[in-house]
Amino acid sequence: MHISEGVLAGPVLFSGMALAVAGVSIGIKKLDFDHLAQAGILSAAFFVASLVHVPIGPSSVHLILNGIIGLLLGWAAFPSIMVALLLQGIIFQFGGITTLGVNTVIMALPAVICYYLFAPLINKKPSIAMPAAFACGFLAVFMSALLVGASLYFSEKSFFEVATLVVTAHLPVMLIEGIITVFCISFIRKVSPEMLPGKK
Amino acid sequence: MRSWQLIIVTIMIILFSLAGPVAAHKVMVFAWVNGNTVHTESKFSGGRKVKAGEIEVFGPKGQLLLGGKTNDQGEFSFPIPQSTALKIVLTAGMGHRGKWIISKDEIINASSTNATSPAIENATGEKMTSAAGAKNTVIRPPATETTLSTDEIQQVVEKALDRKLEPIYRMLAEAREHKPTIADVVGGIGYIIGLVGLAAYLHARRQQK
Repeated sequence: MHISEGVLAGPVLFSGMALAVAGVSIGIKKLDFDHLAQAGILSAAFFVASLVHVPIGPSSVHLILNGIIGLLLGWAAFPSIMVALLLQGIIFQFGGITTLGVNTVIMALPAVICYYLFAPLINKKPSIAMPAAFACGFLAVFMSALLVGASLYFSEKSFFEVATLVVTAHLPVMLIEGIITVFCISFIRKVSPEMLPGKK
Repeated sequence: MRSWQLIIVTIMIILFSLAGPVAAHKVMVFAWVNGNTVHTESKFSGGRKVKAGEIEVFGPKGQLLLGGKTNDQGEFSFPIPQSTALKIVLTAGMGHRGKWIISKDEIINASSTNATSPAIENATGEKMTSAAGAKNTVIRPPATETTLSTDEIQQVVEKALDRKLEPIYRMLAEAREHKPTIADVVGGIGYIIGLVGLAAYLHARRQQK
């Protein structure tokens, strides 16, 4: 999901950058001291997660984790993800510097949307919370795939074609992310429920 | 509970193996010159070959010279279109794109030996094979060697060198790929910890005031 440099049209890059800057500044405003360490750790997790290729079968796959990052951080997902993407761009040459804004929006906007959709449900009883966690992980990747399709709209032909391609290609990742999010949330609920949104 | 976990793990393994081109973060294209031909090889960062990726070759002013698609091995070859620097751009769909630049020197070095006269090239090619064959059997009288002009000898040598060096060109091209190392990963995490520390410090200062 890292869009390379030189693919996107200028207006897309600029509006991506503007949106990312807006998101990051809201995120920094909303990030209080208590969640600072958490944001750092999740940023590091995101940084490493897209690096660890799990080679199973003929190909390999990696996690994105933006659902769970959004769920735990809310708006602070923006700065966390942007820092991780910046470091990935500098150190591994994934994505790029000019596309940093667009890539940040692609990953972080779904994270924030998932926060608003699912944060109220995650402290409910398990029969509600677990499907919500799954949907959170699933939908975060789904929306990211849609955003990839949307940002490629200007350089490739039809939005529908590109979006279908990206979404179907990411279908396995969506299911995996859903399952991983369920595991993480059920673990956090047992070990330190105060980490979850809405419980202080 | 056990069997339930087993089912989940199995499903995940199946899903992992289904995952297609998503896995790639970036695509890379390598190119090297051999004789009159430019060879390119394209692959994703995981090492998979790019099949049917679009290759476009640009001149120094950004004008499109030629284009084509990679084969199943991720390879695409084309004759040198002009003696200038070439920019080779690979587009592999879903926002993946890679590029490689061949310098003018590389092209000129390669083409000057071949472009002079194709007739001589063919002739020397034949001579070279016969010379190679002769080396294994009998030592030729030195008289036949002297019939080669300096030009021809130069061409024979360069052609042989090209052939011998091709795997080395390829290795060098591939070695330029930067694979993430443990040091990179630890360094990146270090940066993040540093940023958290910086934010905590700023926060503490603000509270003191």
